[in-house]
Amino acid sequence: MTLQTITAWTAFALYSAATFAAFGYLLSKDSRASRVMLSLLGVGLFFHTISFIAYLAAFWAYPENRFYLPLMSFYGALSYMSLALAAAFFVVEGRNRLGILGAFVLPLAAGALGLAVTFADPSAAPLAQPLRSYWLNIHPMLLMTAYAAFANAFGVAVAMLIQEAQIKSRKPTNLCYRLPSLDELDSLNGKVIASAYPVLLAGLAMGFAWAYYEWGRMWTSDPKMILALMTATFYGAFLYMRYVAGRRGRRPVYVSLLGFASVLMTFFGAELLSGRHVFMGGAR
Amino acid sequence: MKLVALIWSHKSAASPAREALAGVPLEYALTQIQKAGVQEAVAISTCNRFELYVAGKEGQRLDLSALYCALSEVAGHEISATVETREDHEAVRHLFAVSSGLDSLVVGESEILGQVRSGYESARSKGMTGKRLNVLFQRALYVGKKARAETAIGAGAMSVPSVAVQMAENIFGRLEGKAALILGAGAMAELSAKHLAARGVGRLSVANRTWERAYALAARFQGEAVAWSAIPEALAEADVVISSTGSPTAVLTKSIVADACRRRGGRSLFLIDIAMPRDIEESVHALDGVYLYRLEDLESIVAKNVSSRVEAMAAAGRIVASKAAEFDAWAKSLSTGRELSLKHSRRSSK
Repeated sequence: MTLQTITAWTAFALYSAATFAAFGYLLSKDSRASRVMLSLLGVGLFFHTISFIAYLAAFWAYPENRFYLPLMSFYGALSYMSLALAAAFFVVEGRNRLGILGAFVLPLAAGALGLAVTFADPSAAPLAQPLRSYWLNIHPMLLMTAYAAFANAFGVAVAMLIQEAQIKSRKPTNLCYRLPSLDELDSLNGKVIASAYPVLLAGLAMGFAWAYYEWGRMWTSDPKMILALMTATFYGAFLYMRYVAGRRGRRPVYVSLLGFASVLMTFFGAELLSGRHVFMGGAR
Repeated sequence: MKLVALIWSHKSAASPAREALAGVPLEYALTQIQKAGVQEAVAISTCNRFELYVAGKEGQRLDLSALYCALSEVAGHEISATVETREDHEAVRHLFAVSSGLDSLVVGESEILGQVRSGYESARSKGMTGKRLNVLFQRALYVGKKARAETAIGAGAMSVPSVAVQMAENIFGRLEGKAALILGAGAMAELSAKHLAARGVGRLSVANRTWERAYALAARFQGEAVAWSAIPEALAEADVVISSTGSPTAVLTKSIVADACRRRGGRSLFLIDIAMPRDIEESVHALDGVYLYRLEDLESIVAKNVSSRVEAMAAAGRIVASKAAEFDAWAKSLSTGRELSLKHSRRSSK
């Protein structure tokens, strides 16, 4: 076991414990659970950062990798995404006092890191020649960051649908009083997606630019490309409905959920289908 | 240590002595108590209670008659007949129950915590609190916060108007800047207007078949009277609608509400129908983003809150009992010379 794997496992354990604490807070009125969750998450973030730095050091030990980020492998991508997700939640929660949303967001962070430590190959390897490109260096980082934000928005959207159903039922349970109000959830969902969308578009643009330089054309009917465009379309439709057409309530939120479903398909599903986007390290 | 609590509260019936004491400025009362020869005392004064916690020296009897005399003089009323006294452990337990809101008229209300704090602070600024009273009151504030954080004692509204306000907050968050429309100008409409205004609802409009009555009610709450025929337009503006007219037929039909929704840009609409027969068609509830609550919906939420409050009271009572026992053990440990430590971990959280 190396420092990198030990700290990654520790962070995974802490994220899982924080997830349990988040559910504890959701199901009881005990505000201590929320503090416990935040503390566990904070310590988890610390270990995760160390682990990622260790991974970076191992990756940079190959001189040809020196100017790139280790996001082209399954392990690196998952680990980075989990880190971004947890950090985004930590910031959003800290600012909005919405610890209750941990139950919806933290399982994703714990899951992504869990996948990385159990199924992905944690060793670093030199980047293949065509991947050594500045376009490609930033391309996955921007996309993962956008995905992490979308995952946070997904948690908010689920909470919003639950709150909506509670109020519509006329028989609110305790959950109704503990969740933030419908309007707050609705506007947070919109804001997070609106701020992540330009990042997504920029990330896609980098990918197209790289494809143009490498293959001489922007578009190859690669499954991952198609799915990524679908993601952009769904979130674009959501933003249009929400901010241009002025529609609110359940329907735009359903569209944002479709967007996240296609994020998941892009990230995991296309792995199986895509010839061009196979990650360098791959699964073990 | 001798600790005595002298209590005049709403539980010992409506008492003129309590009212007289509650009217006395706290600082002045403390000064007079000090003059009567009491060195260590904290007074808590609210509109429902006047309580005095007096600490005596070890092995020394507290002379309360001089204190009663002084207090009677201050209050301008004979007060010793209606007092309820608690000593030592019972006094500690009572104080913790008070700060937890268990002893309040509206169980779990949170104002009492601030009142205990200000009572303690004025006594401390006059140098009337020794180590024991300092620790006792800091513990009381801690127990009050703990009970509210760990049990549902402070949660759940207990009356129909406050449940309505709470549901509105579940939908809109803060009500500041929201617009309310009140249909009807009777007593129920007035009560609703009062609750909404108290929660900071920004704009209040009143519509009634009789323009004069709508105008009169609107004027009382700095609102705006709306013509009966202008209800569809007002509906497009409003966030919360409370309807309590005496109309025999529905005032808000599905087509009126659906039409208003198209002009609302998707904002949620919270409708409350407390009229009998109904003012708002039930089918309205099926519209996207429209939430219709009828009187019986609100009443069943109240009933549910009342029953869960009973459970929370038991849980908060357990916290009070265990913390009171903890304090007792600490107070006893002082005289043995080996002082136990009390954890004040949450004291600085606010």
